[in-house]
Amino acid sequence: MSARPVPGDLKVVGRDHPIADASVKVTGGLVYATDMELPNMLHAKLLLSTVPHGRIIRIDTSEAVALPGVVAVFSHENAPVKTYSRYRMLPGQNSCPEDETLFAQTVRFAGDRVAAVVAVNARIAGDAVHLIHVEYEELPVLLTAEESLQEGAPRLHPAGNLLHEFDELVGEASFSAAGAVEVTTTVTTPRVHHAALEPHTCLADYDESGKLTIWSPTQSVFGARTVVADLFRLNYNQVRVIKVPMGGSFGGKQEFILEPVTAFMAMRTRRPVRLVLDREECIFATMVRGATASRVSLTVSVDGALRSLDVDTLFDAGAYATSSIDYAAMMAHKLTRLYRVPRYHHHGRVAYTTTPVAGGCRAYGAPEIVAAMEIAMDQVARELAMDPVELRLRNLVHPLDVDPLSGMSLGDARVRQCLTEGAKAFGWSERFRAARGGGRYRRGVGVACGAHKNGILSADFPDFSTMTLKMNEDGSVALIASLHEVGCGSLTVMKLIVAEELGISPETVSVTEADSDLTPYDFGCYGSRVTYVCGAAAYSTALALKERLLEAAAEVMLRPPHELRVGDGRVETREGASESLSFGALVMAAKTQLGEDVIVQHTHRATSNPGAYSVQFAEVLVDCASGLTRVTDFLAVGDVGQAINRSMVEGQFLGAIQMGIGFALCEEVGLDDGGRPAPGGFKNYHVVNAPDMPDVRVLLVEHDGDDGPYGAKSVGEIATVPTAPAVVNAMNHALGTTLTELPVTPERVLAALSRGEGEA
Amino acid sequence: MRLSFVANGVRRELDIDPTARLVDVLRLDLGLTGTKEGCGEGECGACTVLVDNVAVNSCLLLAVQVRGKRILTVEGLARDGEMDVLQQHFIGHGAVQCGFCSPGMLLSAKALLLANPHPSEAEIRTALAGNLCRCTGYAAIVAAVAAAGETMATARAACASEPSGEGAST
Repeated sequence: MSARPVPGDLKVVGRDHPIADASVKVTGGLVYATDMELPNMLHAKLLLSTVPHGRIIRIDTSEAVALPGVVAVFSHENAPVKTYSRYRMLPGQNSCPEDETLFAQTVRFAGDRVAAVVAVNARIAGDAVHLIHVEYEELPVLLTAEESLQEGAPRLHPAGNLLHEFDELVGEASFSAAGAVEVTTTVTTPRVHHAALEPHTCLADYDESGKLTIWSPTQSVFGARTVVADLFRLNYNQVRVIKVPMGGSFGGKQEFILEPVTAFMAMRTRRPVRLVLDREECIFATMVRGATASRVSLTVSVDGALRSLDVDTLFDAGAYATSSIDYAAMMAHKLTRLYRVPRYHHHGRVAYTTTPVAGGCRAYGAPEIVAAMEIAMDQVARELAMDPVELRLRNLVHPLDVDPLSGMSLGDARVRQCLTEGAKAFGWSERFRAARGGGRYRRGVGVACGAHKNGILSADFPDFSTMTLKMNEDGSVALIASLHEVGCGSLTVMKLIVAEELGISPETVSVTEADSDLTPYDFGCYGSRVTYVCGAAAYSTALALKERLLEAAAEVMLRPPHELRVGDGRVETREGASESLSFGALVMAAKTQLGEDVIVQHTHRATSNPGAYSVQFAEVLVDCASGLTRVTDFLAVGDVGQAINRSMVEGQFLGAIQMGIGFALCEEVGLDDGGRPAPGGFKNYHVVNAPDMPDVRVLLVEHDGDDGPYGAKSVGEIATVPTAPAVVNAMNHALGTTLTELPVTPERVLAALSRGEGEA
Repeated sequence: MRLSFVANGVRRELDIDPTARLVDVLRLDLGLTGTKEGCGEGECGACTVLVDNVAVNSCLLLAVQVRGKRILTVEGLARDGEMDVLQQHFIGHGAVQCGFCSPGMLLSAKALLLANPHPSEAEIRTALAGNLCRCTGYAAIVAAVAAAGETMATARAACASEPSGEGAST
């Protein structure tokens, strides 16, 4: 599948490796938080609001309290009412309005936390929540951001419904206005559920010394610690957060949704408490990819060169702010990483509504704004009667371009290469020109380009990672790092990097996950920073260990360090390797002869944040009678720099495309006219299953032009960025329509056809 | 009430709540936590187990419905310390990411191969239609199941071509 064979000097990096804990997973032995048992553990169940907006007038918990087996019942009446931000990673972090409480007194969406029962088992806790009686004074609902910003709309939070508004403007339009084409289109994207198979869960314990311990499948133990410690006014050393195995996240477990409330229940009951949400609760009461509406206005010269790009986005934050301000900002920061445009203006607004809370979801901001841009680009191509691939090639960024908005280099950006190689492999020209056919079934092809990032480094914020590497007496090593495996093999990537550098087998490298008491600081597993920044930290920490090995060997072998080198698993003399010492023997000698240890700690500071790119091609078959769309062929091309674990890089694309097809065609967290969620978890939320997935080919563009380990760049997020617009563009190609409302359900297809859109 | 069934080859006698779901009895009473619960409504397939070689969602079954039957969970797939070929191919094909869907996927695949040793790709996809996965896009899983079918066919062919004791005597 690769465009580049594994460079000959790489032994383990670049090849196929099973995920490190695969054998434990296929035998059912991996203990997820839902499988953990602690002595005297209690079980919690939440009571969620059934009303989208209302004041709680009365809450009667007496029957629930009286149920045998119930240990405690909590609500706003007996819990702290301090407001907090569940998103804040760092104390004092900006853009984190504190607008949420443990239990609501005013509920702001159907799914808001009203109360919780703690009982001796989950069944009793589940029965008891039904015995809590709540009386609401219902208030008006605001189901869209647009409604929420209208004059006279009821205020959801004291500061008003407009959570944030911003403008970004760079450059000036270069007009040779004669013959310029203008296209304006508005694209809307839906609320989406992350659909990690593992439901949200958290376990907490509080002991008599005042130590709070939280076991959580989280993406950031230090962020969880910050939120919980600040809320309960504990010192940071009193809160220990331990990352436990995670059955998928996709951003859904990035924010600290359950940690504060679970910690609170453990502190009050002085017993371990586990909270598990059911699927319906996961869909409505955790967070969703936020609903967006983006108006894109493009001015393009007759030869297809972008002259000016104006974007106006409206982002639905839902009931609480959490990460929405950053989310909207991300939407503004993608397009200048993708296209050269003389003038770019982005106006963004973020509004509260009485709907499920928006928050981080795989590449947040990018899939939404790229969908809008790429659907608009196809409209431009049609307007100019230009091939969509040609139009994009005319405008895509080049390697070493500088993003005018961030002022940062895009690095060895290979998006153009992705497009040209992909178009060839897909047979784009012929398939695009082929007659689409009349009649009931229409075939079409679509292309879309996407841009993302590599970490969180910006002009005014650093990115870094600290790791410790210690060598054992047999030459095996332990990488002690705050990693958060979400399931895609980050730990395996780190193993491979360390093994490659030290010339040892990956089986002799162990890697820790994050534990806020034991492992060095790291921001967490999000923002496409793990391979690029943490991977580079693993690489440079391995280099530091090699230095340390040479230093120790010089003393043990009584030779100057410059005469020695690190070979595979041993230190040897440079000339002829006449003398050598295995790593194990060296560590033993260091310990028993020198009284020294072989352990290093290193901080890697990122100095670049290049663009991550993917270009994707879809073929669809649309049934004009039923409106059903089937994706029949798919090609994804990724500028990944260097695949560290080839099969898992491919796996990231395949999974991301499953998610993107759902985003395009069928996934939407639906609410009725009254703002109440459709009942039933996956019954009313459709993710793409095995029979509906097309054959997907993955083509990797590899090079070593960037600063990641061995040139590696991020994969997991960028892989889903252009998927949905590739599918929608294929549908518009098949039907001659201008479908712009995602997900493009059969109903929307039929509505467009009955409006007379499309070509007979 | 008393309930008796065979789980992973071992007869179990339990005192259960008659309204208990099979998934809870497996996970809580027998400690077989390899079976996962992803939705509780029979839509995701994470809790799939085999009842007399048929794949079922254990969240939709009452435990009393398996009285006297043979249950296979993910913990029972390996025999004598050796993994089932399906497990081996799941590992080898990169069919495992977060792992939460893997036990259910494996058992749906097991039921398929027991009933149909030579499934086509379409048959594999249909057999896995009730098992959702958010990580892999299914391709590696489908390939692993196909490869397991082939491995088993090869093993059967090897067995068949080996002269058995009786056959050799003639």
